[in-house]
Amino acid sequence: MNKTENNEPGTLTNEADNSKTENETGLLSLTTPEVPPLPEGLVAVVKRDCPTCVLVKPVLHDLHRRAGLTVISQDDPDFGEAADWVLHDHDLALSWHHSIETVPTLLRVSSQGIVTASTVGWSRPQWEQFTGVADLGEGLTEWSPGCGSLSVDPAHADTLAVRFGSAGLHSRRVELASLEDEWEAMWNRGWSDGLPVVPPTQARVLRMLEGTSRDPSEVIAVVPPSLVECSVEKIAVNAVMAGCTPEYLPVVIAAVQASCNDEFNMHGVLATTMSVGPVLVVNGPIAARIAMNSALNALGQGNRANSTIGRALQLVVRNVGGGRPGEVDRATLGSPAKVGFCFAENEADSPWGSLATSRGWREDQSTVTVFAGESPRIFVDQRSRNPESLIRHLAQALRVTGSPRMLLGIDAMLVLSPEHMARFVDAGWGRNDFMAALGEELLINSEEVLSGADGIAEGLPTAAAGRKVPKFRDEGLLVVQAGGDAGLFSAIITGWSNGPGGSDPVTHEITP
Amino acid sequence: MSCSVHDVSDLEGRGIPGVFVTTVHFASAVSAQSQSLGFDAAAVMTSHPIQDRTDDEMTAIADEAFEQLVKALTA
Amino acid sequence: MTVVLDPTSELTPAARQRTARPESLNGLTIGLLDISKPRGNVFLDRISQRLDSLGAEVIRYTKPTFSKPAPVDQRHEIATNCDAVIEALAD
Repeated sequence: MNKTENNEPGTLTNEADNSKTENETGLLSLTTPEVPPLPEGLVAVVKRDCPTCVLVKPVLHDLHRRAGLTVISQDDPDFGEAADWVLHDHDLALSWHHSIETVPTLLRVSSQGIVTASTVGWSRPQWEQFTGVADLGEGLTEWSPGCGSLSVDPAHADTLAVRFGSAGLHSRRVELASLEDEWEAMWNRGWSDGLPVVPPTQARVLRMLEGTSRDPSEVIAVVPPSLVECSVEKIAVNAVMAGCTPEYLPVVIAAVQASCNDEFNMHGVLATTMSVGPVLVVNGPIAARIAMNSALNALGQGNRANSTIGRALQLVVRNVGGGRPGEVDRATLGSPAKVGFCFAENEADSPWGSLATSRGWREDQSTVTVFAGESPRIFVDQRSRNPESLIRHLAQALRVTGSPRMLLGIDAMLVLSPEHMARFVDAGWGRNDFMAALGEELLINSEEVLSGADGIAEGLPTAAAGRKVPKFRDEGLLVVQAGGDAGLFSAIITGWSNGPGGSDPVTHEITP
Repeated sequence: MSCSVHDVSDLEGRGIPGVFVTTVHFASAVSAQSQSLGFDAAAVMTSHPIQDRTDDEMTAIADEAFEQLVKALTA
Repeated sequence: MTVVLDPTSELTPAARQRTARPESLNGLTIGLLDISKPRGNVFLDRISQRLDSLGAEVIRYTKPTFSKPAPVDQRHEIATNCDAVIEALAD
């Protein structure tokens, strides 16, 4: 018997209670209680408030007598027994740490205190097999389902998670006094992009972390401009603030991975005077699973995942990386898209495959592609009835991306709406036909865009005279399908300088 | 007093160094307000009370505070 | 009281830092904001004299009431016209 010495018989105690201590800086630190050891052998976790637990009381007696069973009660200290083989899990530490979800749960515990097997609810054959004791529960019903464990009761779950789970969180605890509005206090600390943020309490951050199987301390990326190592926990804190739900967290993590590397060059995207930010396109099964919007108003407001995932990435860059407007962020004009820009591709309705599959990923993989882009510009064509007309018109709109005289150095993303895409699909065009035809249309006669032509100083050097120059480099135009069923509009998202001196789009897999 | 902390906090947010003057009576309130705002606004304390002071006494109090005010506003 | 987790790199203190200070007040414009409590004006009269002797310009402002933060237009005006501000005198 592992019962510890205590004034209160039958109570499991913790070495350190959950005490709140205040250090010299006035910041709060929480110490975590240690888990009392489980007794060796057979253990039943029960609560008085569960009819099945009360039903099997005679069986528990029997098992104690014949197999040395220990009972751990979650509510009633002695489970009506006042016996030394009945222990009280008074702070639910054992139940929480051993992930007890149902009572009764029968456990088999090794001499090291490790659970080697378990079974839940009451089932005579299962209990007999589990315990190796025959003829259990004479006169009882064969089977009765268990009840919810107190440790997973919504009334206690958050408190327990903070009490026992917060030790794994390493972020500085900051106390916001009750005198002041929480939002004002967070704004004053410089943590917000200007919109309200959700206070990242320990309970909220722990809930957020349930969205990933990663360890909170795992370093995900080195975030510019301050080049700070960013853990899963810091991403979770900022995801809470942005308004994400836990199931969005893997997307946010992948977005941080996709952005913070030499190819995407988040530092440059931030520091440039061009008004670009990370534009996120989510592909694969996760988009539907987290109910992202790829249809009507996909690039707009109103969908929580679309609105908060991009913002969470930007808050990570702001808060962890230290990338703030007016400091390292030198965008001349900025753009509403810099608050956060994220949407999903409408893959179900696209016979052309997706942006991700065009970049070599499988359709069963979930990915996020990050592109350094501005706010979307709408392209209107309501008259083209065949693909030839529409592609020429589209090419004219794409020609002016950045400026009509900016060739090859800038990428773009084209978001084709369903009705525009149907013009091509209905005529039997595939993605390759579309890209090839568009490439043809976007070969520009250099004479038109030489420096000085038409009295405009900007342009190609005169050495480029007499050539056909493509508007975009190979793979410099990213085509995505999204939008509502009705409306002959598409969107063009202008990029930033491409290549080693600028930013290349990056696709990263989203994993749990 | 707490409104002075707000004012200085706001003006500092607009790029203007600021300091406010209060009597020692409010020392703990200043500290509480600063902590809750997440901003330690510069403050200079004078003796308490002041409402019954003569002009000469007020001038003396101002002279005493002046060096601290300059210090709070300069690097 | 709410405890939140610091979302930043924690390279700086959790509290906001003060705005950078000038080397001296000479040649700067200092706003004197009177919170409208009795005797505060006498205090500020003397501060004004002393600032003048340091070579600073002074602009005087008076809050409509000490019980509320200064109105946004007044804060804007101070930020537009002044290089630093002294607010007095709360008792």
